[in-house]
Amino acid sequence: MAASRFAKSVVLALVAAASAPALAQESLKIGVLTIRSGPATPVGDDIIAGIETATRMYGPVLGRPVELIVEESQWNAQQAVTKATKLVQQNRVAAILGTSTVEALALLPVADRLGVPIVTSNSGSAAITRQNCNKWVFRTNAEDLMSAEALKYLLAQNPKLAAAKWFTLGHDYPFSRLVAGTVKQVTGASYVGDAFAPLDTADWSPFIARARASGATAIMMSVTLGTPLLQFVQQANEFGLTKEAQLVAPIGLPDWLVAKLGPLSTNIISAGSWAAWRYEEVEPATKQFNDAFFKQHGRVSGMQALQSASAALMLYTAITKAGSTDPDAVVKALETVDVRTPVGPLRFQPGGRQALVPMFLGPYEAVNPPRYGAQFAQVVEVFPASKSLPPTGPEVGCKLK
Amino acid sequence: MDLSFLFANTVNGAVYGAFLLLTSLGLSLVFGLGRVVNFAHGALYALGGYGLVAVMQRLGLGFWPALVVAPLLVVPIAIAIERVTIQPIRSRPEIYTLLVTFGVSFMVIGAIEYVFGTATTLVEVPRLFAGTVVIVGNEFPIYRLAAAALSLAVSGAVFAFVQFTPIGLQIRAVTDDPGMAEALGVNTTRLLTLVFGAAAGLAALAGALGAPIFAVHPEMGSGILLDAFLAVILGGLGNLPGSAIGAFFVALTKSIGGGYVADWSIAVLFVLVAIALVFRPTGLFGRGRVA
Repeated sequence: MAASRFAKSVVLALVAAASAPALAQESLKIGVLTIRSGPATPVGDDIIAGIETATRMYGPVLGRPVELIVEESQWNAQQAVTKATKLVQQNRVAAILGTSTVEALALLPVADRLGVPIVTSNSGSAAITRQNCNKWVFRTNAEDLMSAEALKYLLAQNPKLAAAKWFTLGHDYPFSRLVAGTVKQVTGASYVGDAFAPLDTADWSPFIARARASGATAIMMSVTLGTPLLQFVQQANEFGLTKEAQLVAPIGLPDWLVAKLGPLSTNIISAGSWAAWRYEEVEPATKQFNDAFFKQHGRVSGMQALQSASAALMLYTAITKAGSTDPDAVVKALETVDVRTPVGPLRFQPGGRQALVPMFLGPYEAVNPPRYGAQFAQVVEVFPASKSLPPTGPEVGCKLK
Repeated sequence: MDLSFLFANTVNGAVYGAFLLLTSLGLSLVFGLGRVVNFAHGALYALGGYGLVAVMQRLGLGFWPALVVAPLLVVPIAIAIERVTIQPIRSRPEIYTLLVTFGVSFMVIGAIEYVFGTATTLVEVPRLFAGTVVIVGNEFPIYRLAAAALSLAVSGAVFAFVQFTPIGLQIRAVTDDPGMAEALGVNTTRLLTLVFGAAAGLAALAGALGAPIFAVHPEMGSGILLDAFLAVILGGLGNLPGSAIGAFFVALTKSIGGGYVADWSIAVLFVLVAIALVFRPTGLFGRGRVA
């Protein structure tokens, strides 16, 4: 009896020893949920590209190769929930990266059921990490109310803008109203009007005429990123509006869009980009990432790529710190990681889920000689998180259960 | 009331109306002739824009030669679509062609994305028409005015063709009474194929002309398709003069509405169209029955 039990133990030990390398090789699955179709596809492309480069640079994690599983969200709430559920239940991902505002807001009510960390890097809605904050959902990019503070700072520091006649021109969605409200609040700013166009607007001529009729000399462009913004800037230039008014982008421009605009981009000032590749002039981690990104993708790393890479790095560091992929352990680790990322040193608010992340203000200019294939880029002035965000979660209304 | 502002919006609306007219005419012709609701019309518009870009980039032609070539490239594609997907189901109720062309539009857009990618392409305005001109104190891009004039000229030629040529007579006859026209020897099947191709050419021309203004991207036809349907339904399906009036009505409402009540402009447009259809269900100038 004792001999057979011993034999069984030996067999089991041999099987375990033989499978140990296989287990160690088993990939660490990370879900990526983002847009893959329609006019905003370039945003999704950038997000995925950033995570891919980060994975190559900062993986393997816990000795395991990282396997990215990408799902299309179509920027649709129902689709986001369906695909996130599939990622967790079928693909058994340890966490979810990517997500923009639509997906993040959709996943908040089901985050407890999903039960994995979600690190969003492209969501603007302040509610995600303020009054609607959730144990599982972390954010690395700046939120709307932080962007509003950056805008106030820009106006306060720039006499020409402070003396301008302001007009808000964009799409008819909540961010436009927030931006308009922020401009109106700036002490001394002269606000001469606004126009919020339907979401499918391709012909901006009536709204450009309205801005012109108001006598505006500065225009806050709250147009959705992507093709609509390209169309608007091109048409504003076509009508000669860029000669009369300074165009201001509230959260900056993605670099693929800057490349498309070319010289037209020099008519624009960013009032708070979420990331800027020229931060490499100050931050070595940004330079390291830019080099790796260019080597892998043959183009400059855009705003969304830098952000998504930073989110990936935070997550991988947290998993390493936790020593496992246990969701609760990873969440606990995320709360205290402090990492030098491509957007600078990052950590999350104590008691909160928002990263204390800087923003980047400044105009766009020609880059001579071109770097990473980019001929135009934003001049970078860093606006630290300490000026835009209270240091702890409870101070912004986040009450974690 | 600021008359200068009203003037600016009226001119902008008229310019868009000219584009919309060029796009709507084909839609109206195809429905009038074959009772085909062509949901792929917007995709054909997009093909025109991509055709322009492809011809300019890959054949090295200038803007104006490309503007001629691009629509001609789209015509055979449209004819093939009509032969394969529409002709076999022509005898069926209109809902069938609506559904089939809806599917075709997805296929065409998918093919565009596969061949050209999903990125948006900006097309430079031809140098000859770069810059702006001041009219009654308002600045207007010269290219927009030139493109609108060309759209109107082509649309006028289409009207004249339908009104004064033997083929135009056949088109009007089939639109009025297909059975009688067929009995009198008109080959309605071949005529519809030709008209479908021509309609696609018109849409493609509109897409190519609009490229320097609205940029080129796979979804570029969806917005103007909706406006074109509104124009055609408002004017009366199959009625060319009605489509013209409908096109300018839609364009001017959007432009003047956009200038005065930006976020409500679409609602205003739909309310006005709905009111018109309550009193004239077949459109302002339609003569058909309501299905």
